[in-house]
Amino acid sequence: MNAPVDKGHNAPCSNRDFDFFYRGLEREELLAQKCDGCGTLRTLPTPACGHCHSLNWSEAKLSGDAALFSYVVHHHPPLPGFPAPHPIVVADLAEGERMVGAMDGTDPASLRIGMPLKVEFLRRGDVAAFRFRPA
Amino acid sequence: MTSFSNKTAIAGYGATEFSKNSGRSELRLAVEATLSALDDAGIDPSEVDGISTYTMDNNGEQEVFRAIGGKDLKFFSRIAQGGGATCAPLQQAALAITCGVADVVVVYRAMNERSEYRFGQPMHSLPPTSDNVVFAYHGLSGLMTPAAMVGMMMRRYMHETGATELDFANYAVLARKNASTNPNAFFYGKPITVEDHQASKMIADPLRLLDCCQESDGAVAVVVVSAERAKDLKQKPVYIRAAAQGSPAGALGLTGFYRENIWPYEECAAAARQLYAQSGLSPKDLDAAIIYDHFGPSVFPGLEAYGFCAKGEAKDFVRDGNLEIGGALPINMHGGQLGEAYIHGMNGVAEAVRQLRGTAVNQVPGVRNMLVTAGSGVPTSAAILGVD
Repeated sequence: MNAPVDKGHNAPCSNRDFDFFYRGLEREELLAQKCDGCGTLRTLPTPACGHCHSLNWSEAKLSGDAALFSYVVHHHPPLPGFPAPHPIVVADLAEGERMVGAMDGTDPASLRIGMPLKVEFLRRGDVAAFRFRPA
Repeated sequence: MTSFSNKTAIAGYGATEFSKNSGRSELRLAVEATLSALDDAGIDPSEVDGISTYTMDNNGEQEVFRAIGGKDLKFFSRIAQGGGATCAPLQQAALAITCGVADVVVVYRAMNERSEYRFGQPMHSLPPTSDNVVFAYHGLSGLMTPAAMVGMMMRRYMHETGATELDFANYAVLARKNASTNPNAFFYGKPITVEDHQASKMIADPLRLLDCCQESDGAVAVVVVSAERAKDLKQKPVYIRAAAQGSPAGALGLTGFYRENIWPYEECAAAARQLYAQSGLSPKDLDAAIIYDHFGPSVFPGLEAYGFCAKGEAKDFVRDGNLEIGGALPINMHGGQLGEAYIHGMNGVAEAVRQLRGTAVNQVPGVRNMLVTAGSGVPTSAAILGVD
């Protein structure tokens, strides 16, 4: 057996396209990829830019400011670390991209599509995580 | 361009009973359904030379083939995307037969989904495949179940169209009404009311328990042959008039949130464009439809994507009774996956075959052309089936 590789994060399932995002959360930074070729931002990581096909990209820090685009309130089945009912949102980021984020800790009844959000960092067990809060 | 439209036909279908505990192996379910479909068609199992199924099916082609006494398997293919696969193996069969690669292609889907594992549970995410790292990225935020992912899509749909939970209740009531007169349905004899729907527990708000398909054990198989061969067999041929897959830009597995429209819509619309071009038919030419109902509310954008009503108007189309038997577009006469069983859409293919043969329990009179769709919110597939 080889020694475990230190990826700089404890996210349970990642690869070399996604590692930077979880390392960013360890530093309490919300990161996206920024294409070195054309500057396009992408939140959900992918190895190449769909616009200019560049494989080169840099980490870009997001403000964490967003507006609520859609949400769901998970009730069942129970999920470890998320006392139900807990909301999850799709957020329109100030930078123009979308991002999925938790909103546990906020009353589901208070959610409104379009409401302003801000990011908050927390740990879920060993894993560095983030969630949105009302701004 | 070579067309496969109308050059192949479903010559037979078979199914096990649908239950919550089949009491036997998944492989046995697959074999039972396959042998039943071949018997229905009047084709000896030794003639099978092609198999197509879902990547999520746990039964190896060679194991099914061994059990049915197969001789020479020349074509075997699998389609990913869970329930988005449903109609794609039909397309695989049509392509293989039209190109002369195989002559008798069996399509099966067999699962002990209730008694041996449950899809409704949080998705597993190891090893780090390209799909799993995406699931994990969303799972970090507690978005882990198909119901929550589709619920996210449907919340936005409600916001943009004005559709409400009561609109969604209308579909659940219809599915259970159709199931209530189908002896093969798990919910045979058990219709529900709008009040029952509204009283059912929340799963992933806005989705309630009675919006969710069942967890089921069972298997369905169909046999596809050339149209010429089908005309000489036991059953009325059910022609594959069109079959398509759809995965446009921005499509992801239940998480296509990074594009303008996040409804379970764009993949269906992409499949629809191909189906109508291939077949030369339009939505008004279709007498009935099987619209995939992993979650009943997804039927609403599905009706819109396949062109039966304008975008955002499904709530009115449903409220006006169009989906009832006797309405403009009866759908899911077997009770759908809410009412009959959840066999990843293959029980819907079987219902279309029965309707087109004129042998269904909840028969729509004079059905000649039907749409069958697959899971939405994922890269999907669909087919138009018809009889002379």
